[in-house]
Amino acid sequence: MKNESNSANLIRWFDPRHRQLGTWAFILNRITALGLTLYLILHLFALGNLARGPEAYDGFIKLAKTPVILIGELLVIAAGLIHGLNGIRIALNSFGIGTRYQKQIFIGLMIVVAACLIIFAKSMLFGH
Amino acid sequence: MNKENWHVTFDVFRQKTCQSVHFDAFPMDVDPDEYVLDVIERIWAFNDRSLTFRHACHHSTCGACGMRVNGVEKLTCITPINQVTHDGGKVRVEPLRNFPILSDLVVDMGEFYLRLDDAKFAQVVTLDAACLPFEKKQQVRENGDFERLVDCLECGMCISACPVALTTSEYLGPAILAAAHQTYQQTNDPEMISLADKQDGVWRCHSAYECTAVCPSNVDPGWRIMDLRKIVLRSQIHKFFSR
Amino acid sequence: MYDTNPKPQEGAWLWLIKIVAGLLIVVIMGIHFWVNHLVAPGGLLSYADVLAYYQNPAIIVMEILFLIFVVSHAFLGVRSIILDVNPTKVVLRWVNRGLLFLGTAAILYGIWLALFISAKGAGA
Repeated sequence: MKNESNSANLIRWFDPRHRQLGTWAFILNRITALGLTLYLILHLFALGNLARGPEAYDGFIKLAKTPVILIGELLVIAAGLIHGLNGIRIALNSFGIGTRYQKQIFIGLMIVVAACLIIFAKSMLFGH
Repeated sequence: MNKENWHVTFDVFRQKTCQSVHFDAFPMDVDPDEYVLDVIERIWAFNDRSLTFRHACHHSTCGACGMRVNGVEKLTCITPINQVTHDGGKVRVEPLRNFPILSDLVVDMGEFYLRLDDAKFAQVVTLDAACLPFEKKQQVRENGDFERLVDCLECGMCISACPVALTTSEYLGPAILAAAHQTYQQTNDPEMISLADKQDGVWRCHSAYECTAVCPSNVDPGWRIMDLRKIVLRSQIHKFFSR
Repeated sequence: MYDTNPKPQEGAWLWLIKIVAGLLIVVIMGIHFWVNHLVAPGGLLSYADVLAYYQNPAIIVMEILFLIFVVSHAFLGVRSIILDVNPTKVVLRWVNRGLLFLGTAAILYGIWLALFISAKGAGA
């Protein structure tokens, strides 16, 4: 039945309607976790080019400097920042620190994420 | 106070055993200050006697009338109409999530109560265990061993709001873990540590804090789960080094 | 029906490993960005740069540790997400085996790659 706990409900993890800020943090954490794990696997495969010699690696890096890949890279950085900083919030809360101020901590950390992203975007897209 | 009534449509979740889900619309004239439960009772009394719902005390003590009102868990006996809609608006009433539906707005809380027993949930505990450490204790005398009723109403709304409970019925859930935390505070019962330190215990929580947001009382299950984590970690590390 | 004996497949230690690995990733990530963007402006963009970078033994140790922390954190995290959907004991047993195999393979592959690059740089 739709109402009961059921593993098929997992898509509803990502439904932010009628939810609090904490669920937004949970949703972001989960999406970035899955995205970063996928990136880790792709990254390990891509680094395999190093073993295939300078032509393969330098060719790969040339491809990696195209605008589409750069935007993708920026997304990975965003995911890493969101997941890493929100992870600090969860770790602190779990050790009994700041639980009552979890909303404010989340907002503060996401402001840091936004600031870092602006710096990274500026340097990556217009820096060189 | 002389106030004009509002015209509000109640969209009520309906499902009887083995039948499919549908919503019945009841256009109602309501006083904006009256409570959602009052209107549901009127629907039952004057519109549809087959509508089933749980209710008892009407003053937020029994925890029976927890439902989802416009998507959010509310104790309907203390939720005024003017907090959830406006004149000409809608009120969508649904049963709690993550529990089996028995009939319409009535869900089966049996397993939930059994789990509370596992956490040795007590109705009356010492003042220290009943209060959150950051809350002011109401003491009639300076010194003395005081007890009071616990804050948890066993309404199940925290379980309904928890995103993890959406996908696993095995997760003990906020109310149970909060009860285990309270029991541990009062008795230092090591069984509470082993109850919490399991796959379906404190580690399933992913800090969405929806439980704390919807709790109609003062339990703060999110805080209690996090504190219980700290207690479990401390206990396991202590056990490891004192082998 | 109601299970009075919850499954003990995740506990304080696994959770602690995940969290400590997570925090160490944040620390090493900070060092990584600092090294790549401040000490070596422009990053390690050519094959020759990478070979030179891997001549420092401290860098090899750091990168290998980084890989171990990232793989442990990621795979324990994926397992935790799978636990959220209440897998049966049989499914979970295969998930455990699969993640353990893939995680070990990823770490061994990464260590081999780091040592290979470093040896290649030393010979160049």
